[in-house]
Amino acid sequence: MVGLIKINNMNMKKIVILLTFSLSHLLTSHAQTPAKPQQRQIVLLNGTAHIGNGTVIEKSAIGFENGELLFVSDAKDYTRQLGDEVIDITGKQVYPGFIAPSTTLGLVEIEAARATRDFEDVGYINPHVRSEISYNTDSKIIPTIRTNGVLLAQVAPRGGLISGTSSVFTLDGWNWEDAVYKTDDGIFVNWPARYSAGGWWGEPEPMKKNEEYEKRIVALQKFFADAKAYSQNGQSELDIRMEAMKGIFSGEKRLFINATLAKDIIEAVYFAKKFAVPHLVIVGAKDASLVTDVLKNNNVAVVLDRVHDLPSSPDSDIDLPFKTPKILQDAGVLYCLSYMGGMETAGMRNLPFTAGTAVAYGLTKEQALSAITLNTAKILGIDATAGTLEGGKDATLFVSSGDALDMRTNNVEMAFINGKKLDLDNHQKQLYRKFRNKYTAK
Amino acid sequence: MKKILLTLCLVPAYCLLSSAQETFPVNGTRENNKLYYAFTNATIFTDYQTRIDSATLLIKEGKVEAAGKGIKIPEGAVVNDLKGKFIYPSLVDIYTSYGLPEAKKENAGPGPQMESKTKGAYAWNQSLKPEFNAAFVFSVDTKKAEELRKNGFGSVLTLQQDGIARGTSAFVSLGEGKDNKLLLKEKAAACYSFKKGNSTQDYPSSLMGSIALLRQTYFDAQWYAQNTTAEKNLSLQSWNELQSLPQIFDTDDFLSALRADKVGDEFGKQYILKGSGTEYRRMDEIKATNASFILPLNFPDPYDVEDPYDALIVNLDDLKHWEMAPTNLSAFEKNKIPFAITADGLKDLSKFWKNMRKAIEYGLSETEALKAITYSPAKLIGVENTVGSLKAGLKANFIITSTNLFDKKNIILENWVDGVSYKVNSLEVQDIRGTYDITIGGSVTYKLKIEGEERKPSLKVFYADTVPTSGDISVDKKMVSLSFPVEKGKTDLIRMSGVIEGKQLSGRCQLPAGTWTDWKAIYKDAFVEKVKKDSTDNKPKEIGKLVYPFTAFGWSEQPKQETVLIKNATVWTNESSGKMANTDVLIENGKIAVIGKNISGTENAKVIDGTGKHLTAGIIDEHSHIAISKGVNEGAQASSSEVSIGDVVNSEDINIYRQLAGGVVASQLLHGSANPIGGQSALIKLRWGLAPEKMKIENADGFIKFALGENVKQSNWGDDRTVRFPQTRMGVEQVYYDAFIRAKEYEKLFSANDKTLSKLAPRRDLELDALVEILNKKRFITCHSYVQSEINMLMHVADSMGFKVNTFTHILEGYKVADKMKAHGVGASTFSDWWAYKYEVVDAIPYNATILNEQGVTVAINSDDAEMARRLNQEAAKSVKYGGMSEEDALKMVTLNPAKLLHLDNRMGSIKEGKDADVVLWSDNPLSVYARAEKTFVDGICYYDADKDLQLRDEVRKERARLIQKMIAAKKGGEQTKKPEKKEEKLYHCDTMENENDL
Repeated sequence: MVGLIKINNMNMKKIVILLTFSLSHLLTSHAQTPAKPQQRQIVLLNGTAHIGNGTVIEKSAIGFENGELLFVSDAKDYTRQLGDEVIDITGKQVYPGFIAPSTTLGLVEIEAARATRDFEDVGYINPHVRSEISYNTDSKIIPTIRTNGVLLAQVAPRGGLISGTSSVFTLDGWNWEDAVYKTDDGIFVNWPARYSAGGWWGEPEPMKKNEEYEKRIVALQKFFADAKAYSQNGQSELDIRMEAMKGIFSGEKRLFINATLAKDIIEAVYFAKKFAVPHLVIVGAKDASLVTDVLKNNNVAVVLDRVHDLPSSPDSDIDLPFKTPKILQDAGVLYCLSYMGGMETAGMRNLPFTAGTAVAYGLTKEQALSAITLNTAKILGIDATAGTLEGGKDATLFVSSGDALDMRTNNVEMAFINGKKLDLDNHQKQLYRKFRNKYTAK
Repeated sequence: MKKILLTLCLVPAYCLLSSAQETFPVNGTRENNKLYYAFTNATIFTDYQTRIDSATLLIKEGKVEAAGKGIKIPEGAVVNDLKGKFIYPSLVDIYTSYGLPEAKKENAGPGPQMESKTKGAYAWNQSLKPEFNAAFVFSVDTKKAEELRKNGFGSVLTLQQDGIARGTSAFVSLGEGKDNKLLLKEKAAACYSFKKGNSTQDYPSSLMGSIALLRQTYFDAQWYAQNTTAEKNLSLQSWNELQSLPQIFDTDDFLSALRADKVGDEFGKQYILKGSGTEYRRMDEIKATNASFILPLNFPDPYDVEDPYDALIVNLDDLKHWEMAPTNLSAFEKNKIPFAITADGLKDLSKFWKNMRKAIEYGLSETEALKAITYSPAKLIGVENTVGSLKAGLKANFIITSTNLFDKKNIILENWVDGVSYKVNSLEVQDIRGTYDITIGGSVTYKLKIEGEERKPSLKVFYADTVPTSGDISVDKKMVSLSFPVEKGKTDLIRMSGVIEGKQLSGRCQLPAGTWTDWKAIYKDAFVEKVKKDSTDNKPKEIGKLVYPFTAFGWSEQPKQETVLIKNATVWTNESSGKMANTDVLIENGKIAVIGKNISGTENAKVIDGTGKHLTAGIIDEHSHIAISKGVNEGAQASSSEVSIGDVVNSEDINIYRQLAGGVVASQLLHGSANPIGGQSALIKLRWGLAPEKMKIENADGFIKFALGENVKQSNWGDDRTVRFPQTRMGVEQVYYDAFIRAKEYEKLFSANDKTLSKLAPRRDLELDALVEILNKKRFITCHSYVQSEINMLMHVADSMGFKVNTFTHILEGYKVADKMKAHGVGASTFSDWWAYKYEVVDAIPYNATILNEQGVTVAINSDDAEMARRLNQEAAKSVKYGGMSEEDALKMVTLNPAKLLHLDNRMGSIKEGKDADVVLWSDNPLSVYARAEKTFVDGICYYDADKDLQLRDEVRKERARLIQKMIAAKKGGEQTKKPEKKEEKLYHCDTMENENDL
């Protein structure tokens, strides 16, 4: 303890905090304490800045204050101001926080445990159910996601024809009110399945035309037509389902339609057109590479299915899911990457590596980065404040010691959400320390 | 001489006389027809290979008396002059359910059904029904019999298509009358399949379970034959009784045909295999079965593929099958494999002859076709001296046809069964085609032209001009009816009825107003048949190439072993030499021959420039569920060590190729995790294109899957799955103790010292055999596991039983007990970063592999997932990120370490001279997300080559396009089509599990 006294106040404080943290980590296991608001201007100096819009600044200076990026420039252009907390990150990489669209993060903790599943309600048409109030900021999964650079997520309900209303969250906060970044940003719709499976798991029969398909389409058409009339003051009494749809027609909310097959995508596009929906996004879009013209000509964006997936047909090019981003990029379609599918919440920390795979199959690294930052922000309608490292935007960013799109080098050393420096510890790191100590102490 | 002939003829008649007595009374007057019937001047096929023109067939009392030339017709015989007509033996179909009631279907209750619902002293399993005797429930079905006779069939084998052991079938006549006369032979053949049919019992719930059940039943029956005192088992008794009969085995694809034959071989049985029509896909292996086949004519209809998007959902193998299915029979003929043809599987029997002709167009000879519907089926079930040819003493079962049986225009006129005639079409036909002058009411005169087919004429009327008007005409024996507009352009009709006399037609007609008058048509000119050139008939059939396996990316030419020199690559040896820069590797005879710098003197070698590239040992997936047919879990019971994935390897799975593209060269195909003691695994190399048996790794040790935790406790299977023991981790431990104690006692039964224990030969028990192998360190456990308590427990069980657990797979809490695992000597095969998907993985951490590695446990990273398996290099790389493992150690986790866990490290897993040339050339550091496998070699054969892959894609596209054009043309040509349907790929994980009644 004698030695410690000599250490200046600032450091002492840090050590105490650290000790407190690790103690608490050992005793109990819970999600990390949300960060405190940014106190003073922070400047990240000499790192390689990946802006998110395609440009890279090799030796950069990134300054932010009160949660807002003030400047992102060449390090040469930065003159140190009194009170700046300058962090030298020479040799390291800086990225805007990655954004995961269309996920159930925070709506489910343990997939197999029914009590922890909160993403799908009863009924086919549920536009009024809102993910915002169900988002669990204390999920132990969330801290493991942000430690790989994913700092924002669009959390959406699932199931039925109209699943519900999504919201965008920062991955830090005391409660949902604290964490929400954009409330009720969109409505999620599932385009009815054209084919339905037969047989059983050992002997699947060929998929046949879904007998329910026409019925579902009619139901969807009717509800949209009704909701549209309602939004044009068709009645004075409140209908909470139709009320929830209003934003779709006014453009306040975006319409996310999950569609897989080429024909589904085309039909969904014309469906939205018919109702003059200002912002349509196709989600999933496994067949997007077949309908790029339709997408491009109608200014429809795509939240693409997980890149780390198998082709849907044995006849498809074996790398089709890997190279679909490149196909969309070349076609000029606005798209972003998602991690939808099996184990999507726990696995979401691998979103950057799906972008890495897209690089192996044609994209440039900076294009792939845009596919999980700027493009996503545009598609979610948050690009005014998120998605790139540009002055005026929120200071939501992180520093990795190496290329963050490659699992071999992704190593997030510090991360900020709205300028707040995150605790990058998590449940898994705690267990790692606990048991590693068990062996090293021997 | 006349006397002798008569005597000869009478010999069979005596037999008839004696058999003519009946037990049942006749209501009315006894029929006593002992007349001769003679059919003269016909072209007679006395058997499939003997055609006799202008011949006579003589029959009496249901039997053939004689057939051939120069046959003396007895006086008083009924003579039918069949000039220009043909006679063939009636068809025999030995795969029907004719005259049998539907199999009884029990109601499946809610929740599991561990035991059979069959009451009585029968087999333990509801799908075993060897005691079923079709003869006991057979009864004539006049409607169906008529339909079959119309198509030429005279007798059939009838069986109940339900269950795994289906009991015996009956050979029956398709005549009408008393069942006593129609039942020709009971217990004509024993029948089997892999499908449990209507059985509601949970076991078996997979194909491998069906196979194991069949095997076990052979052993049970052998044991029972020596010992009937321990228990009475009527099913086993029946089973033993029917072993000497012909054994017919129903298969639903070509792989299952091979599987069935293999089981038969193990027990000295040569099954007659009822095929699926897909056998052409592996003809070499099919031939090697030495089996005779019963083959269907169920050729698929083309799909509606005009819409290019809709067409996408139809897979290439289904497109190709449409084209190639009609070649299946000719492939059998070419390969000289005996076969019979069945109408089974045809939704519409009227397609039988259409498809038969199609098969002939596609290369089947008429002689072989005739053999396959007459002699061969009879021969296969040992009734060739009763039916199938027209020789003295055989049944008078024959058909009279208008022309050659296989001719498109042929009409079956009569079908004689047991000497009784069944008319199909009238024997006599009035050909009234020609040009006539018709006079109506003695005044008005038109010209008529009767054309079309002989039996189906059409009418054209010429009024004043040369442009004809169509009318209607029909002929019924001597009567003719006509109707046509009274004047050109009018709709009012004249309706006529008349008589045919020679070439003249005359009669009465009714005018539109209802008045009657006479009419007469005078024959003027003969009908001249327009010879239509059938453009499709003589053109050689354009058929796509057979590819192996029969799917997209299959090879039309299997890649060969080559001498390859990879130059100047960064070589990750996984040996003490570590990572070697700018190094050459020579591959020869499937082995790694030389590793060094600037290797020369290899002028025969194909040189690959490895500059800037990385060469590693091929990836080995310790935990895979690809390439498995019909079920990965036999989960109905807590222990299923009798089942083996080795029985159900599926060589046709596209994931094999996709994974080669991810650098995978070998996989352990594991049973799932539905029960504490799972099934035996198969170790395969990804030899894309070879048949299942050739994919298996030679002389590999045997492994078996065990499992712990939530899956075996059925925690997440739904609220009704609470019946099967165990439902707790406590119960799981006791399942193991119970099993291994039983196994030890069982082993004693077989040991020489303890023969005195029982005078009886012990019953072979396949479940316990596998456990004894574990105890004797001849089979090794890979155990699905998550939490530390259960990991610890199984090591204790193993220690107390005197063996070691080989591998814990998943082992997500291994990091908590790494020291104990090290002490036990067990390896770990884990996921890189999976967690939170169920309660038992809440403490799973991505640092698991690193900690285990640091503690000296052999660690592998596995996939358990068809997608992830093609990125296992990336998964290994995550340990560099999580916990800072060295890159070389990380790579070993997907190469050398799994080889060690599978006891294959003496020949695989590293780049070392003498080891198997299973190597991958990567575009970049293999642990980088940016790396792509460019070439993957297995046994020195390049099974994946990124450049070749581009060619294959092109071939897939072109072949699809060609077939789609052809299908559309077929549709335009009038073929019936069906809507596109998609085959869904079934991707298995450990816990893929459903109890199913449909297998």
